[in-house]
Amino acid sequence: MRAFSASHSKPSWPGVWQAVVRRQEFGIAVILLALTIILSLQTSTFLTGTNLFNVMRASSWIAIAAFGEAIVIIAGGIDLSVGSVMALAGLVSALTLLAGWGAPSAICAGLAAGVAVGFINGVFVSRGKLPSFIVTLGTLSAARGLAFGLTGGEPVRNLPNSFVHLGQYNLPLGNWEVPLPAIAMLVFAGLTALLLSRTVLGGHIYALGSDETAVWLAGINVERLKITVYTLSGVLAAAGGILMTARLGVAAPTAAVGYELDIIAAAMVGGVSWLGGKGTVWGALLGAMTMQVLRNGLVLLGFPTYWQATAIGVIIIAAIALDRWRSGHS
Amino acid sequence: MSGLALRAVNLSKRFGNLSALEGITFTLAPGEVIGLVGRRGSGKSTLLHLISGIHSPSTGEIRFDHRRVNFTGPYQARQLGIYLVHQEPRLVKRLDVIHNIFLGQEIGWPFGGGLPDRNRMTRRAATVLEEFDLPVGLLWEKAENLPDEQRQIVAIARVLCQPACLLLLDDPLAALSFERQRRLLDRIRGLAGQGAGVIVTGDNLKHLFAITDRIFVLYEGRLVADRRTADSTPREIVEMIVGAASQEQVTPIIWALESYHAAQQQAEELRHTQATLRESLEAQDSLNRQLVERLRDQVEALDQLNVALQAAHRRLLTEREQERKHLARELHDQVIQDLLSFNYRLEEAENAEPTTERQKELAAIRSGIRQVVSELRQLCGDLRPPTIDSHGLEAAIRSHAQEWADRNGIALTLEIDPHLGRLPEAIELSVFRIVQEGLNNVRKHAAAKQVNLCLQRTPTASLLVQLTDDGKGLTQPLDLAALSARRHFGLLSISERVALLGGTMHIESAPGGGVALQVDIPSPSPSV
Repeated sequence: MRAFSASHSKPSWPGVWQAVVRRQEFGIAVILLALTIILSLQTSTFLTGTNLFNVMRASSWIAIAAFGEAIVIIAGGIDLSVGSVMALAGLVSALTLLAGWGAPSAICAGLAAGVAVGFINGVFVSRGKLPSFIVTLGTLSAARGLAFGLTGGEPVRNLPNSFVHLGQYNLPLGNWEVPLPAIAMLVFAGLTALLLSRTVLGGHIYALGSDETAVWLAGINVERLKITVYTLSGVLAAAGGILMTARLGVAAPTAAVGYELDIIAAAMVGGVSWLGGKGTVWGALLGAMTMQVLRNGLVLLGFPTYWQATAIGVIIIAAIALDRWRSGHS
Repeated sequence: MSGLALRAVNLSKRFGNLSALEGITFTLAPGEVIGLVGRRGSGKSTLLHLISGIHSPSTGEIRFDHRRVNFTGPYQARQLGIYLVHQEPRLVKRLDVIHNIFLGQEIGWPFGGGLPDRNRMTRRAATVLEEFDLPVGLLWEKAENLPDEQRQIVAIARVLCQPACLLLLDDPLAALSFERQRRLLDRIRGLAGQGAGVIVTGDNLKHLFAITDRIFVLYEGRLVADRRTADSTPREIVEMIVGAASQEQVTPIIWALESYHAAQQQAEELRHTQATLRESLEAQDSLNRQLVERLRDQVEALDQLNVALQAAHRRLLTEREQERKHLARELHDQVIQDLLSFNYRLEEAENAEPTTERQKELAAIRSGIRQVVSELRQLCGDLRPPTIDSHGLEAAIRSHAQEWADRNGIALTLEIDPHLGRLPEAIELSVFRIVQEGLNNVRKHAAAKQVNLCLQRTPTASLLVQLTDDGKGLTQPLDLAALSARRHFGLLSISERVALLGGTMHIESAPGGGVALQVDIPSPSPSV
């Protein structure tokens, strides 16, 4: 949000503490910490390096897509097409790989599919002046249909190792074996955070979500800005989808069905305001992690599988209620 | 930055069935300042919105430097260097002032975007805020916390922080204070001097006449006048603003406008005077407080002096009474006794004298001595009522009244409260002296035949003395100071004694034509 807030005063320590507490991410960070402590005490398996990296790997593609979703929500919109884009991008990469392309080109092709869907979303939302909910609901269905059409409904298997490694290789770092998707997640988080907090474009995105009319009157090209926002969401969803395909080793047209809800939930649980203009990438990251930790913890605790979705729903509502309560007090 | 030549040809704008502007044609050269006036709803804002790309014209065309433009949004106008300050500035409330100032026009790298250059933006914005007398700290205030005037200045600062080719100012002065209005007017002239074209709307013709080269008048969406400012008068302009159809209404409107703006200016000056006045008033106030304090000190000193004086007076009276008492006793016990013994010896000598001649002479001398003794007794009685010490006030007054009535042949009715009892010596003496002086006055001045003297205790435990006569009465109101000047001390000494006892005294004409003296002495009286 502080695209260029001046360094006119050095904050004192109590000031820093207050700033931390007041941040939107504070609530979700506390919940994540509490969950971690409870699970560490209740189970012997949770607080092991392997399990933690598994959690990070499992949440990585949801998280990366949630970064893009966070951008859209901050800008005052919503993107329902992210799940379908993930599946479509993975499929495009897989198909181009089988067509003999190298892994980098195939990844670019997958990302291009995401860019295309995102661009179309942006054009319809800005030029067509349609509600983002409607437009992206349409592309959710359209992209899914395209995925089915391209494959005839069959999963694409036998992907080359050079590609599959991307999702399955663990980078040895000291004593740890760090999965590549976890590293990718952190890299994307850093890049997106820099984009939002340090660039003029990021400042415009926050301003757009706060007051679109004022931004338009200020002489900002709102159409271009919106197209950029939805394209960013598309490309980040595509990156998540490609990573997911590489991890699973198979590209199914039915992959990532219903993920858009997890992704939107991750962003909102992480403190991204559904009214626009507020939130951070780090919040979305914490949101995605929390949901995965919860899922993982429920499995480790032997909680009945069917009830897990209910528990996650409760956590979503609790996190947002907490955020509401805090912003009502500040 | 070089200016931009603007040309509007047959510009019209309709909102649905409503025609906002019709057939507007004009040109604006670089460096020219145009004042746009008209009634509310005459299309001023709409025209500025068309030029700045907020609305697109229904028909007609806008040309900048001979190129036709067809804006679809404000950002395209902004790219040409056209800036609009809205009548009611729309800021992003949640962002702070500096973000609002540079929103959409950030200074940074590369290509004026990308990564913002905070320091340069802060410096530039701070310069503009200082120009308008606002603290630099305001830059980090959220826009939603600003009062109207500061919001307007932020909107103006957006324009002043970037080089502009064409400035469109929609009533920018209304929200500003007098001083800031002048700054902005100067600034507008300065920008025009650098080649920027300016269109400014407003109600204050005085401002517009001060800075514009030409004045456009809009009436019901049509451009009815395009005048050089130097060749027109405010009256002429107001006539056209109001419309030719309602000529007869023009004069009162001009008067109203002129007096309104004059009043505004006066209000500003008054506010200034008020501020200085308040300062000097505060200084005056502290001076007054010092004076009041000094006065209080002096009054206190005076009070103490007064108390001391009263004490001295009381002591004087007491001592005089003691002196009189002593003198009376001396006379009575020594002189009178001696005279009586001489008289006795003379009587013996008289009896021993053989000749009647000598006997008669001696008898005459003895009668003379008895006369002297009697006068001395009278004198003693006056000096010190003989009965007051032994029998009290009531007896002393009765005896004095009896003697007074006998001596002067004036009828005196005496009423004394049977429950009078004994009072402190000082009070009894004072009351006696008051009665004595009062009767003395009646004898000297009133020529009365009947006198009433009444002493009584009242329910408020005080002593009431009333002395009424049927004499000449008062010819003029009493003035104690004048009496004192004429050395008539009778009433004066009464009033002094009353005051020393803490009582009150009234003198008025009695119903029967004489004078009524009423003295009220509280009891217990102050200790003497």
